[in-house]
Amino acid sequence: MPVAANTESPLPYADTKRVGHADFYFAVNATFRFIIERFGYAKLVDYWRDLGGGYYKPVGDRWRSRGLTGVAEYWRAFFAAEPGADIGVVDSEDEVRLEVKTCPAIRHLREHGREIVPVFCQQCYFVNEAIAEPAGMMVRVCGGNGTCTQRFMKKTAGVPPQNLEDIATAS
Amino acid sequence: MIGCYDFCGHYEWTFEWLERLGGHELVKAYWDGAIHRDSQIHASKLIREKGFEGMKEYWGPTLADEGAVYERTVTDDVFRIDMHECPSKGFLLRNGLEQYSDYCDHCMGWIGPLMKDAGFVIDHEHNHCGQCWWEMRRKSDATLASEAGQLSGKHDVRLRPDWKSPHTDHYERATDPDDKTAAS
Repeated sequence: MPVAANTESPLPYADTKRVGHADFYFAVNATFRFIIERFGYAKLVDYWRDLGGGYYKPVGDRWRSRGLTGVAEYWRAFFAAEPGADIGVVDSEDEVRLEVKTCPAIRHLREHGREIVPVFCQQCYFVNEAIAEPAGMMVRVCGGNGTCTQRFMKKTAGVPPQNLEDIATAS
Repeated sequence: MIGCYDFCGHYEWTFEWLERLGGHELVKAYWDGAIHRDSQIHASKLIREKGFEGMKEYWGPTLADEGAVYERTVTDDVFRIDMHECPSKGFLLRNGLEQYSDYCDHCMGWIGPLMKDAGFVIDHEHNHCGQCWWEMRRKSDATLASEAGQLSGKHDVRLRPDWKSPHTDHYERATDPDDKTAAS
């Protein structure tokens, strides 16, 4: 399912609002629950990977053309448009590190008493890895449940695979 | 991370993903199960418990937060929305996103079953260009949908010069996204 790309901004799709509407996190969480309850965890992982490689393909294309600079630009623009986010983007020659001090989605879901899908935080590994892979990059996520670190690196040998146990269960 | 800024884009993409996985019935089950009964449970509770007052409480802040340009007309017997600039469909049109066959169906997909549970029926049309109108009435009220301008006066979306489109869907006392016919 190819999608159109906006080549001007680090974000592929532009809205007229400065930030998104946080209640949409309810639907993201509910979508995960719907898929996992009907089809199981493996199908939810398929959904995340397909979303990363399909809907977010313009993001991967930009990362491929702009390298790690493009990764840092994307996350700065991305979190500026997510309400309630508190994050830092640290970029160096070898990697871009995303320090999530307050995850806007977990925060909003908690504030409204929503039951969070336990594997909610794994989306960040599977979606981001699917975006990064065609750009010759990889992602490692550590933490979760409101705060985490995400490292975006050029694909190199010797980096251990993502250990899903390093990603916290959300609640 | 899957964000809320471009939510309508990946939401629409998800409809097509689900359609490929399990066909139209799965998409309908998603709108009812994931959106009506889970994501929008706060809307469901308000409208079931408070009727028209609940509709006002839900759609007032929600449509404002989403950046909609709309008019609301409420009487003792009907809740009407004239949507002049749908923020959701507008986002898709501006960004050239169209994976699913009919994005606009998602509203009736979750609002329809919600209204059915709450004892209401819906008259509705959408023109697939970011404009639509809704009239919610109690199921026991046999009143037909209003004529253009009758309820919301000059704010009636049907009076816009660009309202007519080659592909307008029409619903009459409906609660199911499949209850549509082509508007004459």
